[in-house]
Amino acid sequence: MIKIAVYGKGGIGKSTTVSNVSAALAEAGYRVMQIGCDPKADSTVLLHGGKEIRTVLDLVRERGDDFSLDEMVTPGFGGVACVEAGGPTPGLGCAGRGIIAALEKLKSKGAYETYRPDIVFYDVLGDVVCGGFSMPMRPGYAEKVLILTSGENMAIHAATNIAAAVENFRSRGYASLGGLILNRRCVKNEEKKVKELAENLHTSVIGALDRSETVLSAEELGKTVIEAFPQSRMAEEYRTLAGKILHACGGKPC
Amino acid sequence: MLKRAGPKRAEIPGIPVRIADARFPSPFLPGLEYSAPARGTWNIVHTGMLIPGAHQIFVCAQGCLRGVVLTAAEMGVSDRFSTVAVREKDVLSGDMEKLIFDGVSDIIGKLPEKPPAVLVFTSCIHHFIGCDLPLVYRHLRKKFPDIDFADCYMNPIMRKSGLNPDQTMRKQLYSLLKPRKLNPKSVSIVGNDFATDKKSELYALLAGNGFTVREITGCKTYEEYQQMAESAFCISYYPAAKAAGDELERRLGQKHICIPFSFNYDEISENLKYLCETVSIRTPDFSPGIARCEAALGKTAEELGDTPVAVDCTAFPRPLGLARLLLSHGFHVTRVYADSFSSSEHADFDALQSLAPDLLLYPVSQPAMRILPRSPAEKTLAVGQKAAYFTGSGYFVNLVEGGGLYGFSGICRLAEVMSEAFREPKNARHLIQIKGMGCGCCL
Repeated sequence: MIKIAVYGKGGIGKSTTVSNVSAALAEAGYRVMQIGCDPKADSTVLLHGGKEIRTVLDLVRERGDDFSLDEMVTPGFGGVACVEAGGPTPGLGCAGRGIIAALEKLKSKGAYETYRPDIVFYDVLGDVVCGGFSMPMRPGYAEKVLILTSGENMAIHAATNIAAAVENFRSRGYASLGGLILNRRCVKNEEKKVKELAENLHTSVIGALDRSETVLSAEELGKTVIEAFPQSRMAEEYRTLAGKILHACGGKPC
Repeated sequence: MLKRAGPKRAEIPGIPVRIADARFPSPFLPGLEYSAPARGTWNIVHTGMLIPGAHQIFVCAQGCLRGVVLTAAEMGVSDRFSTVAVREKDVLSGDMEKLIFDGVSDIIGKLPEKPPAVLVFTSCIHHFIGCDLPLVYRHLRKKFPDIDFADCYMNPIMRKSGLNPDQTMRKQLYSLLKPRKLNPKSVSIVGNDFATDKKSELYALLAGNGFTVREITGCKTYEEYQQMAESAFCISYYPAAKAAGDELERRLGQKHICIPFSFNYDEISENLKYLCETVSIRTPDFSPGIARCEAALGKTAEELGDTPVAVDCTAFPRPLGLARLLLSHGFHVTRVYADSFSSSEHADFDALQSLAPDLLLYPVSQPAMRILPRSPAEKTLAVGQKAAYFTGSGYFVNLVEGGGLYGFSGICRLAEVMSEAFREPKNARHLIQIKGMGCGCCL
């Protein structure tokens, strides 16, 4: 089982990218679990037709511990096991605590042993702002952290912060940095800037995605590109990226 | 002139409630809670001290330390107790793990002798901020390889979800047992604060068939405690002890024999039969034990006559089972004090609704209990400290958590102590204020 946490600046396209990679891996025959670690609970939305699903924290709030593992997991495209951690009402409570509670609940209910996914993605909200957002990096969760970034300064700044947190946690035995993924926004010198960032962080750019209207069209349909436009060039890019991610994180290529 | 605010005494809506009108399992609405000054039940400090030679370190905000500090002081074991205060700056600095590690290391370094085990109690703040406790324990174990560290919790927000602190403490109490070769003739009774009565059928059946029976309450040294790891079987019968037995089965491979405490002859017989079958000994005829119970209960019922009896939830697990047993043997049980009931009491609840519909249920933690009248108009026999406090009776059975009684012999002994309590009043005010009955106390 390979467990990967994906971080990156808010709005950079983490959920879209992770969902498409999950779909590509599922299509290739892998058992995939995608866990959205964002109170907005929209990480996996493209994998199950845009429908809202019950979050783990919804279940905890309503039923305490009186619910089954199956109720936390919604099957999505290609059998991807979709989980949304959920969170408190926006502006209230503690989102980080919510993620901790949700991840602990998944573990205590035996999610990994029961579903036995080949690959688990933790799609984590933005930056590592508190203990809750470092939870997916801790022992027992992800072994590798991937950072999604564009060449925009704010995205690079966020990536630097995340990488610093990963480095800071090395002595604790947390996940290590597996590399950067470039999600192109067509800014000036984008390739060069992200390559320099990777060098500064002593890592590599393991894959890149073009900016594409196909992605937006698929999103309008409430689907991943892999499902909506499987023959498209963009779908092929996601498949290629999925293979590179597997390779970078110690898995066998697709 | 000062005027009393709030409802008048004896005019508290919904308190008490007739059992015929009560809802199961929670007859009273939850809300603000009150703690009566009947303090004989144990807390996590008392229970943790059962590990011989272990040192306890509580890491939490100073305000929350008050109760546990006083418990240790009252027990006279402050030399086995230390604290690390968490301040706001520790939360803001973001390295709570380091605070725990440094604090615990500093304390251990200053102890006159290294303890064999350290119980580190973290609190709700560590839970809230997602403190990486496994990391802390990894580092502590690496730095102090000759000390066993147990992760313990003083986390009140978990009181009513998942395993509560009491269940967790009883589970963690055995977490330091290191795997040993299992001895098929060795049995542990786990999760009890009180030693099981040696006259109980448990001892008669096991010791009488050549088994060594161990309980943490009888361990004088850390090595004796570790010998509990040799048991091929572990028995739990106190409700909060089940998780401890489950964990020992999972971790050490000890066969967990869960035989819940009961006042029902059939259930006791079934439990003992299950025990015999599991440890492969002949199941004896239990009818003599039942006959002894009948005789003992009959004798005590006759002595008490129509004296009202009040039962509480701290004296024994399953107070409704006790009330049912007593009522069906001619006792005049009028009151049960409990906030709610466990699922195992459902049958007793249903039966009592028919058998004694006017039986009154009182909560123990509702603030209203502070102002209800506490002086009985007539002599009342109370079973348990809370019942004694709330009825204002000095005629009471001074037991908590079942006091180590179990089985038919436990029922016989209960009948005896009820008779004794009926004959001789006690100084309730003095006795019930002693924290952690049976522990050391400086009061």
